[in-house]
Amino acid sequence: MTAAPRLAWRQARGAWRHFVLLAACVALGVAALVAVGSFATTLDRTLAREAKALTGGDLELRAARPLDGDSAAALADLRARGAVIVGVRELVAMARGADGRALLVEAKAPDAGYPLYGRLQLAPAEPLPALLANDGAVVQRETLERLGLRPGDRLALGRATFTVRGIVEREPDRAASLVTLGPRVFIAGDALERTGLVQIGSRVRYRVLVRLPERLAARDTREALARRIADPGIRVASYDEAQPGLRRFFSQLATYLGLVGLASLLVGGIGVASSVATFVRRQAPTIAILKALGADSRTLLATFLWQTLTVGAVASVVGAGLGAALQPVLIRLLAGFVPFALEARVEPLTLARGVLMGVLTTLLCAMWPLLAVRDVRPSLILRRDVDAVPARGRRPWAAALPIAMGLAALALWQAGSLKLGGIFLGAALAALVTLWALARGLVGAARRLPRAPWPAWRHGIGSLRRPGGQSARVVVALGAGVMLLVAVALLHEALDAQIDHERHREAPSFFFVDVQPDQREAFARVLAQAAGDDVTPTLTPIVRARLAAVNGVRVTRDLVRRRVGEDREGAFYYTREYALTWSAAPPPGNVLTRGRWWGPEPGPPRISVEEAMAKQLGVDVGGHLTFDVQGVPVEAEVASLRKVDWQSLGTNFFVVFSPGALDGAPVTFVATARTTAAAEGAVQSAVAAAFPNVTAIPVRDVLERVGAVLGDIAVAIRVMALFTVATGVVVMAGALTATRYQRLYESVVLRTLGATRGVVARAFAVEYACLGAAAGVGGTALACLLAWIVLRFVLDTPWHLEPWALLAGVVASVGLAIAVGFLATWRLLGEKPLPVLRRE
Amino acid sequence: MTRMLVSIRNLTLRLPSGGRMLTVLDDVSLDVLAGEALAVAGPSGSGKSTLLGLVAGLDTPTSGTIVVAGAEVTRLGETALARFRRDTLGYVFQSYHLIPTLTAAENVAVPLDLAGVSGAPARARELLAGVGLADRGHHYPAQLSGGEQQRVALARAMALDPPLLLADEPTGNLDSATGGAIVELLFALNRDHGTTLLLVTHDDLLAERADRVVSLRDGRVAGERRRATLVP
Repeated sequence: MTAAPRLAWRQARGAWRHFVLLAACVALGVAALVAVGSFATTLDRTLAREAKALTGGDLELRAARPLDGDSAAALADLRARGAVIVGVRELVAMARGADGRALLVEAKAPDAGYPLYGRLQLAPAEPLPALLANDGAVVQRETLERLGLRPGDRLALGRATFTVRGIVEREPDRAASLVTLGPRVFIAGDALERTGLVQIGSRVRYRVLVRLPERLAARDTREALARRIADPGIRVASYDEAQPGLRRFFSQLATYLGLVGLASLLVGGIGVASSVATFVRRQAPTIAILKALGADSRTLLATFLWQTLTVGAVASVVGAGLGAALQPVLIRLLAGFVPFALEARVEPLTLARGVLMGVLTTLLCAMWPLLAVRDVRPSLILRRDVDAVPARGRRPWAAALPIAMGLAALALWQAGSLKLGGIFLGAALAALVTLWALARGLVGAARRLPRAPWPAWRHGIGSLRRPGGQSARVVVALGAGVMLLVAVALLHEALDAQIDHERHREAPSFFFVDVQPDQREAFARVLAQAAGDDVTPTLTPIVRARLAAVNGVRVTRDLVRRRVGEDREGAFYYTREYALTWSAAPPPGNVLTRGRWWGPEPGPPRISVEEAMAKQLGVDVGGHLTFDVQGVPVEAEVASLRKVDWQSLGTNFFVVFSPGALDGAPVTFVATARTTAAAEGAVQSAVAAAFPNVTAIPVRDVLERVGAVLGDIAVAIRVMALFTVATGVVVMAGALTATRYQRLYESVVLRTLGATRGVVARAFAVEYACLGAAAGVGGTALACLLAWIVLRFVLDTPWHLEPWALLAGVVASVGLAIAVGFLATWRLLGEKPLPVLRRE
Repeated sequence: MTRMLVSIRNLTLRLPSGGRMLTVLDDVSLDVLAGEALAVAGPSGSGKSTLLGLVAGLDTPTSGTIVVAGAEVTRLGETALARFRRDTLGYVFQSYHLIPTLTAAENVAVPLDLAGVSGAPARARELLAGVGLADRGHHYPAQLSGGEQQRVALARAMALDPPLLLADEPTGNLDSATGGAIVELLFALNRDHGTTLLLVTHDDLLAERADRVVSLRDGRVAGERRRATLVP
């Protein structure tokens, strides 16, 4: 065996082209994986390190109502034991500038002592209480820009007016959601009362941040606190379990990016296999000589495996370096919506993992073509006319199984879950088989097609079936890249369409929240004045309530924990603040799935419940839900279940009561209206000026914020998909180089027979264009399928055919194939015929 | 002592060619004694080179047996065959078959490496010196003349000092002066080391030096003559 590494080293000399291609394929894939992997670990590390700052404390209590009663008592006990406790109230409200311009903002009124962890970065760098004292406000720069204000100007919130004293650059605990409804405005805790915005039915989020003394462990204290506070509507979280949604989002993002990276590594694997197959074929005479000299197959296999793995390992290390260098780029791409600062750092474990992935992929993908070494017959040196490697070697199919399983294991490892890995593998296999079949079809068609009348076409199409099988490899590798890129484009396009306000003609321009019953008429008048006489608001009554009992069983923290455990989404249905309404007719667009809608005759309180909610709560038609409406229990029988189209952008409700059932409860109204885009600013200003208590949520603006986040994500995924395309290009260049001698000989013979250089070039172009077109058509078709599956089953979003994206996919693919083809072979056109012929 | 080193019995090889079977060798039987220099002569296409290749186990005959140094070549598996070739025979080809990406010294070192011999580079230099190429070790085959390449091939064939040397038209691609030098080297081996020579040639000069000449025609043994002068 000692002979193998030595031979391997010497043998490698004559094959640098092969090794460069091999290395490029592996390095690109590893770079993609390491870039994503480093990004993921950076995110993880940041989330862990900043956990207390992001949470706001060791513990956070969060509720839709003031924390009094047993929670206040429990907190007082904690304070007595040395804990520092700070209350913070947050709400969405309208801010108005001096010129009447209005803006939806997220207001925050912290008590003294905020923040407990992390740093609030202010300009000027003075303590927050000092800036907020005497009706001061500290705002995000965006607030000033959109209201046309400067520091020192006045800004109105509700019935109170504030002076802007500073700008907040960074806020440690503002990371709860990726999309905010508006920029931040800080005001003092005691100033909030004077805005008049805190009243029954208004949506204030009450937070209590706790810093524990060292001897109190966060988890244990959280447990103890949760036991004492019976109300499940008060969420108690310790810093290490806060923001689960944010964590889940980022870990999923990293996983999906990682899968795109894995795709480029697998395309690189095709390149490895293809390059090794060519190499073995070209090395056949040498292999025959070595066998004649007494080298056995095992030694030779070891030799070539050594070479390949060494190159694979070096390339993996280079790729890991490249990936690490690329990480800051990825961070910058995503920095726009990541709500905290990410610091690029290289994690040795991530690098090692990437290198291991690269080496294993090299091994698995090279193994199959390398097995052909055993089939090279030493008698080749006696008779040159025999095929170097029999077309159908006696490679044991038993070897294919561990190879396939190894590749599958790599995919599962990267995906991190059996389900996702399985889907990825299925998609990859389907893509591979489809593209392969397409390529074979192309070759078959080239064989059967009638002879084209133009020589360039005739030779170009004829070249597609040149032995060596490079056509199939090019189509598969290039097609895979096209598929990913087009699929990302299609998905982005579909999601964009989904949130494009212009395309939703039925969608309102505004939600006006907290319109009081006595403001209804005046509100309609103000709206018509600002937006035009034809604009009338749709007003829906709202009663805010909490779920008190399910089928007579009281909703307590224990019940929630028993029923849904740690499932946040499940707990949401038990503990959220419900907006109830009533209606004589089913809401438009809703579909009854069970039970019947109530008739006009009066009867006991009945409700119609949204399907998913009913399922989570375990109630069906005939069951009972009890709501707590400002301390008054209201029990109702479930009369029907509904399916709600949440993407309709209209006013949707989980629970609709029969008319009369909520009479006497404190009611506010939510108004919706569609105005022209041009009138939006005026409407917002007019409403804000006339009704300081009403919050106007501009739908277009919110959708644009969502769109911006989606755009950032799409760019990041596209960058990763470009790796796959780049790898596909390398594979194509490799496949073309593999046939360059043959190509050279053909072109020289053609020219000897009188063909001009132009004809030969055109013949090449025709061949490359055909390959590109097959890859383009196959890739875009697969992209459509992939996008459709994701939209239909994952995102539940309607599917639109985007002919432009498809056309662009095909055209770009053809263009790329021609460009790469000529880059790889243009030099052949310049060769002098005679020396080439003499060489043969 | 006249020990039999190679024993060929009823060797037949048929190959598919142009859709029908072509008989390359037809019931050939032949013995080579240890220490003997045997030449196989005949026109091109008579099956001489194929016969040599079969003795080396480079291909499998349709029927018949070949025994070399006690080993039944025709029944050895792939790995055993490789080991047999490495340990028992050296092979010199008409077109040299040096590995183009290795230097002359490295080419000579290949069998030494394969056998796990320590100090292979030094031994390779000695072997090259033995064929008069002491200063050409770092040259690649493309930088050597035909005669030089064949001398490298000869050094390579002799690297492990095998009992049997197969030479397939060793002078076929060389002019007579260069060829003569190769012939001298071959027979010096036969004389000084007792290496058994099995040559394939249509070079009369070379055939005349052999102890015995067997001629093949259309895959059959057509005649045999001994070198009269050698009879004591």
